[in-house]
Amino acid sequence: MMEIKINGKSYQAEEDETILEVCERNGIRLPTLCAHPDLLPSEGICRMCLIETNQTKGLVPSCVEKAREGLEVFTETENVKKARKINLELLWADHAGKCAGCQRNGRCRLQDLAQEYDIDEFKFVPRRQELKSEDELDLVKDNWEHVAMDEENTSITRDSQYCVECRRCVKICRDMQTVEAYGMNYRSSKTNVGTPYEMPLDCIFCGQCSLVCPTAAITEKDDTKKFEEALQDPKKMVVVQTAPSVRLTFSEEFDNPPGTLWEKKLVASLKALGCDQVFDTILGADLTIIEEANELLQRIKNSGPFPMFTSCCPSWILYVEKYWPEFIPNLSSCKSPQQMLSPLVKTYFARKAKINPAQIVNVAIMPCTSKKYEADRAELTASGFQDTDIVLTIRELARFLRKKKINPATLKDEKFDPALGISTGAGMLFASSGGVMEAALRTAVEKMTGVALGKVDFEMVRGVEGIRCAEIAVGDLKLKVAVAHEIRNAKKLLENVKKGESEYHFVEVMACPNGCIGGGGQPQPTTPEIRLARIKGVLDRDRGMPIRKSHENPVLKKIYQEFLGHPGSEKAEELLHTKYTNRKKK
Amino acid sequence: MQIITKNWEKIKPLEIGSYIRVGGYESLRKAIREMSPAEVIEEIKKSGLRGRGGAGFPTGDKWELAAKTAADRKYFICNLDESEPGVYKDRIIAEKNPHQIIEGLAIGAYAIGAKKVFIYINGHYDGAAEILEIALKQAEEKEFIGRSAMGSPVDIEIEIFRSAGAYICGEETALLNSMEGQRGEPRLKPPFPPVRGLFGRPTVINNAETLANIPYILKRGAKTFAQIGLKSSPGTKLFILGGAVKNPGVFEAPLGTSMRDLIYNSLYGGGIAKGKELWFVQLAGACGRLVPPAKLDQPLAYGQCEFALGSGSILVVHKGVDLKNLLFSWADFFHRESCGKCVPCREGTYRLWEIAKRLQNNDGREKDRENVEEILWTLANTTFCPLGNFAATAWQDSINLFGDQIFDQK
Repeated sequence: MMEIKINGKSYQAEEDETILEVCERNGIRLPTLCAHPDLLPSEGICRMCLIETNQTKGLVPSCVEKAREGLEVFTETENVKKARKINLELLWADHAGKCAGCQRNGRCRLQDLAQEYDIDEFKFVPRRQELKSEDELDLVKDNWEHVAMDEENTSITRDSQYCVECRRCVKICRDMQTVEAYGMNYRSSKTNVGTPYEMPLDCIFCGQCSLVCPTAAITEKDDTKKFEEALQDPKKMVVVQTAPSVRLTFSEEFDNPPGTLWEKKLVASLKALGCDQVFDTILGADLTIIEEANELLQRIKNSGPFPMFTSCCPSWILYVEKYWPEFIPNLSSCKSPQQMLSPLVKTYFARKAKINPAQIVNVAIMPCTSKKYEADRAELTASGFQDTDIVLTIRELARFLRKKKINPATLKDEKFDPALGISTGAGMLFASSGGVMEAALRTAVEKMTGVALGKVDFEMVRGVEGIRCAEIAVGDLKLKVAVAHEIRNAKKLLENVKKGESEYHFVEVMACPNGCIGGGGQPQPTTPEIRLARIKGVLDRDRGMPIRKSHENPVLKKIYQEFLGHPGSEKAEELLHTKYTNRKKK
Repeated sequence: MQIITKNWEKIKPLEIGSYIRVGGYESLRKAIREMSPAEVIEEIKKSGLRGRGGAGFPTGDKWELAAKTAADRKYFICNLDESEPGVYKDRIIAEKNPHQIIEGLAIGAYAIGAKKVFIYINGHYDGAAEILEIALKQAEEKEFIGRSAMGSPVDIEIEIFRSAGAYICGEETALLNSMEGQRGEPRLKPPFPPVRGLFGRPTVINNAETLANIPYILKRGAKTFAQIGLKSSPGTKLFILGGAVKNPGVFEAPLGTSMRDLIYNSLYGGGIAKGKELWFVQLAGACGRLVPPAKLDQPLAYGQCEFALGSGSILVVHKGVDLKNLLFSWADFFHRESCGKCVPCREGTYRLWEIAKRLQNNDGREKDRENVEEILWTLANTTFCPLGNFAATAWQDSINLFGDQIFDQK
């Protein structure tokens, strides 16, 4: 620890801490565009957080400059303010400036800064929009700015009109996910974030890029229009399901502190929009656990293939299919909770409610951009229709509610519809990394030993480390399990398994940091600190649930009795299990 | 006084024998056979040699830092990227006496313990690259370099790396990025290359002219070298005279020589070209300061002159040159060569170029001067690397010296 001075006042700083970090910890505002706590170390690209100190010459970026003994920092000198203003003006003229119709309107980092520093006009000829005036024609010609649009996929939209070249997307895709879908194309003023050879985005659609993007250059593909059309169509029955994590993060979109549980407000909001049935994806999660535990027991009986990998995360599935197809037999054949619940809605529920499944529009509210891609997978049509019709991220739902002037805070609490709306604490755990493992253990261990668990908490698989391993004694068997989140850790784990250095029975992988609560479709900003608060919310919720084991979900018991038979039955295979495809490029 | 250009008339660049006949490779032999790496570094430090690429960093200190940094392998790179408009001294050295560079390079590699050595050469320098290629082959055949350099167990492999011709890749960290297959963009410093350079290993990057001085220093001793030029800037420097001088070209002169001497002395420029009148001088290339005639008596040396001498270019601009064309050419160059990494340079050089283009067409606008001054300020004060500062230098001097002529329109 050391003491440094910022604007005349003393603050404690840790060894190796940047000035930006010290400032943020102490509520001293510094404008930033490229710095992000998930992307350390910062590189000082945007030049917004420049400061002056007594030990450096001229202006230096606070996201790079480290705290040092005797350092005196000045964050609001004339030069600092001048630098911010000029650089923002330059950047603003390089931006589309179409705020009113922009997805990020009111939640855009650049717009925020423009407001803060009174950038109220284009000081230079804007170069990312069409110029039509005759006397500017010459400039139009020279104003060539490469604008890349990418709408080829169903998850992520890119529109470089909005791009400020902060490179957050490049870094998160390369450093956290190792996918390297993005890079910088061209140079000088034409420098642009892009894909190799401007090909359509070829990635695992985790959406972390859209989560860290400070503007609307990379966004979730907007499906709110489709949703609105379905709601307006009197012939359609709109059935919504909501993922475990979004009942926690939904509240953040309406300015509540991270970790605030808003399950009932979420249901009420969907009802207020006119959704006919609101179901709980956690029921799908419970179903996943029952089927997956059964699959694990089968594999133990048949001695493999091990490790068995979880299959709830579509980005993880796509990662294996694209980069490690040799591990496809290791993926659990269980569909994800979303994809288990959807066909049940169009078969079991439709039959019970006496509705033509063709009239059902299945909508899923997810923390995830990849779920959009998953819903679109050709093989996920077990119900005879595309099982899931529309996937909205929690950001889209919140945006849609704001557009419709619905404020969830003012709505009366509502509960999930009972047909498929009863959930357990185990299913809730799916929201954070380690949760699927813990939920599966609660069921699998009981099934294997035949004895009810005294303590249902498996703390050894909780936590935030990238890879966590545990050994659980189940009778004679030492069940070896591992949990990984972020693809860089999953990659490490796969490499070790391939080399034979690690042996596991069961491995959970989530592509996003800390699992779905850090998903690519979650509210902005998402930071390590915010994720911790969300994890706490998940664990609290699990602890507060009357039923904490998936196999004790009463609705599921009924569904197995009335419809599916038993775990792994022919019907279950048909509706709840799937196959994977080798998508590796030759 | 000649160090670099000495023997140039006697040497046939494609024949190693001609270099050996004037004492070539004796210094390398001496270094490897008679001196420890630490002794070589000590000698270079004592000589006071400073980098000739422009920044003037003490060469011995750079070597020492790399030598002292522990690593499984180290690299040595000769920077022959030379992309400053109007600067071609390194190319001339390579074309006239390639072995002088190679010898210096091998001595450096021995001093820091680098087995793998690269000559990073400007992609447009086809002729020089071919000459160096042949020279390397000859030096290997003679076993001056290679697996057992000078018959010792010392292993020095030198390879030519052709750059793709980006200005910024002369900056050493951008150079490293481009060699690693990354975008040619500067890296954050620290860490500096002698600590963490190519592929994360300690790497010394020296300008070709710097290296061409090394054989002389080892042969004649640091003391002799240190007596040439100024005490704080010992040795000679290649100056590139261009523009309105009688004899344009590359000239070697002791550091501390004045600009006036270089322009007017018959040994060098021989005066202003006939029928022309001196207006001002631009030092160091497109990135350099403008020097009015009254200030030409300042000695050119590192840290001695109000104007940084950079890589040694002296462009003599005569009266009658259209300043707006010049302004445009500077803005155009730096706009084109900005790597696009940081906001002020990427956007600032673009806007400067945009305004310069209009000014050139006599289409000034009311707020041009204010906007240009703001852009120049942010380029000079907030960019990631010095390229942004460079882009502002000549413009700022132009405004200070001739502001009204630039913006006083219509």
